[in-house]
Amino acid sequence: MSESPWSRIGWRNVGRHPRRTILTALGLAVGYGAVVFIIGWANGFVAEMVENATGLMSGQIEIHDAEYRPERSIYDTLGGRDGVDFAALMDHIAEDERTVGVAPRVFAAGLVSSGEATTAGQLMGIDPARETGVTRFLEGLTEGRLPEPGRNEMAIGSEMARQLEVGLGDELVVVAPGADGSMGNDLYSVSGIYTTGLIELDATNAVLPLTDLQALVTLDPARIHEIVVATTDPFLADEAAADLAASLGADDLGMEVVSWAELNPTILEFSALMDSFYLIIYVFVFGIAIFGVANTMLMATYERRREIAVMLAMGAVPGAIVKSILYEAAAMGLLSLVIGVAISLPPMLWWYAAPADLSWLYGEMTLQGVLLRPVMRVTLDPASWAGAAVALFATALLAALYPAWRASRVPPADTLSGI
Amino acid sequence: MARNNDVRRRVAALVVLAGLATAGAAHAQPDPVEIMNRVQDLYRGESSHGEITMEIVTEHWSRSITMEMWSYGEDYTLARILAPAREEGTATLRADDDIWNYLPRVDRTIKVPASMMGGSWMGSHFTNDDLVQESRLVDDYDVEITFDGERDGMRVWEITLTPKPEAAVVWGRVEYTVRQADVLPVSVLYYDEDGEVARSMEFQEFERIGGRTMPRLMNMRPADKPEERTTMRYDDLEYDVGIDESFFSLRTLQSRRR
Repeated sequence: MSESPWSRIGWRNVGRHPRRTILTALGLAVGYGAVVFIIGWANGFVAEMVENATGLMSGQIEIHDAEYRPERSIYDTLGGRDGVDFAALMDHIAEDERTVGVAPRVFAAGLVSSGEATTAGQLMGIDPARETGVTRFLEGLTEGRLPEPGRNEMAIGSEMARQLEVGLGDELVVVAPGADGSMGNDLYSVSGIYTTGLIELDATNAVLPLTDLQALVTLDPARIHEIVVATTDPFLADEAAADLAASLGADDLGMEVVSWAELNPTILEFSALMDSFYLIIYVFVFGIAIFGVANTMLMATYERRREIAVMLAMGAVPGAIVKSILYEAAAMGLLSLVIGVAISLPPMLWWYAAPADLSWLYGEMTLQGVLLRPVMRVTLDPASWAGAAVALFATALLAALYPAWRASRVPPADTLSGI
Repeated sequence: MARNNDVRRRVAALVVLAGLATAGAAHAQPDPVEIMNRVQDLYRGESSHGEITMEIVTEHWSRSITMEMWSYGEDYTLARILAPAREEGTATLRADDDIWNYLPRVDRTIKVPASMMGGSWMGSHFTNDDLVQESRLVDDYDVEITFDGERDGMRVWEITLTPKPEAAVVWGRVEYTVRQADVLPVSVLYYDEDGEVARSMEFQEFERIGGRTMPRLMNMRPADKPEERTTMRYDDLEYDVGIDESFFSLRTLQSRRR
């Protein structure tokens, strides 16, 4: 291409008015940077939301009995009435390199009571060591420690502790209907109190060692309700879930392996909404830039109309004029891209490494039941950088089309005669 | 006292029947509130004491619980499990709007919170609310006779109860079928707020118990699980046993033996 005189002419014209060229290129470069930043922030926000939604408690993948959802009945344990060798299942899941943690769970509904006060509780039987490798809700353990098996201990949410007016070591009565119809009841001491930040969770959630809860609600040791899995990246969960379902033979065992996207479709929809929003950002930002570029190109070609007239008089075809001006626009685009990358990527990388702390602006907040940290983070997304680069070139070329067409229609004789 | 009460009941029945007899001429309906009060008072005298066997059949398990039960007026009930042995001594006290459960295993009493009043009572298809609300249907619902005639070879009234606007009740509508001959209940249909039947109760085995003729069996079935049921059977019932509200205390609840 560089052999073509038209591309050389186009390239040289970029350097004709360096100051004007730089200003125009800066316009495009800033547009590029704006798009890269806005999408980086928006993606960061979505990632934050997905990670918080899935990382706090629900995990990225859940495995249940096929009948378990949506009623979540105490009877619908994995493997049915006989239960399942869930330790073997978990070992198998841990072998998949996309998983970083796997934990068993038992759920029961019950009354938690202290003195005069009683509240309805969602009792969760966990393996504390495994659970903390999958979810973060127990990271908010502000007092005490996690309960140990066989010692009639439990940890409760801080709001529940407040409502029941209990502290560490205090006694709780728990009543829960058992799987055999009996009324399971026992005394426990508060070993720990945690705060997740989601008030409804802190008011209703209570954790017990898995085996202790099984004993309370008369479930055999092989019967659990859920295996929860954490993946390295939430957006790998869908394919990992499908692969695990196949390799575990989930259908034959009457189990379902579901990802967060299926369990929490509103978050997925929100993510899809943001994706379509990006298109609007492209259109707006480059839509503004295109008129500036078009104006510059129009001026540049008008100023050179005598030169263009000479080329046409000497036998250049109008198409060649159009070509040279489009080359000029492409060269301008390249320059803009270099500047754009130079001004946007270093701050992006810096921002990525050190997300802005906005806690001075607002504390933790919840959106659609998801707790968000007060940080503004960006994601590094090369696809969006490439997309913005394509949009930048398209803008430069589109902006040059009309000036190029005008230039190719310059009447040589009239122009050269000075009219 | 017991005799006195029975006489009162009969007089009340006569009044209702007399009302019915004159209805033809004057188009005066028997008073539905009076009928409901009669039905409601059936299992209660001023006070009562009895033994009940509750058989619960669910999709996943079935069990039978025998209980000793006391009541006083509309607002006090105490029930204590006699069998199975594993749950012996577990007891429920209802006083006005509140329900407490006593758990002998841990020797603690817990009060059922308002949010759990709709929950199952002792694993049965009855709810805690049933213990509280059933006693004052007439206060919470508008009562109307919606059918008066023969059904299944028996003259009955169908009495429809619709919630009063401000009443905090769980049902959209309740329909009692009451036989006219002796003003005894035959069945009850409970409708949810969408007008669908949510559960049904049937009364069976009309016999003389404790000096009154009454249905010995109450059979509750949830509409969404027709194979499930709770059957309450009065093994024994006596009225006006000389207890008053002082009996219905947390102390009585917590005493392992009466």
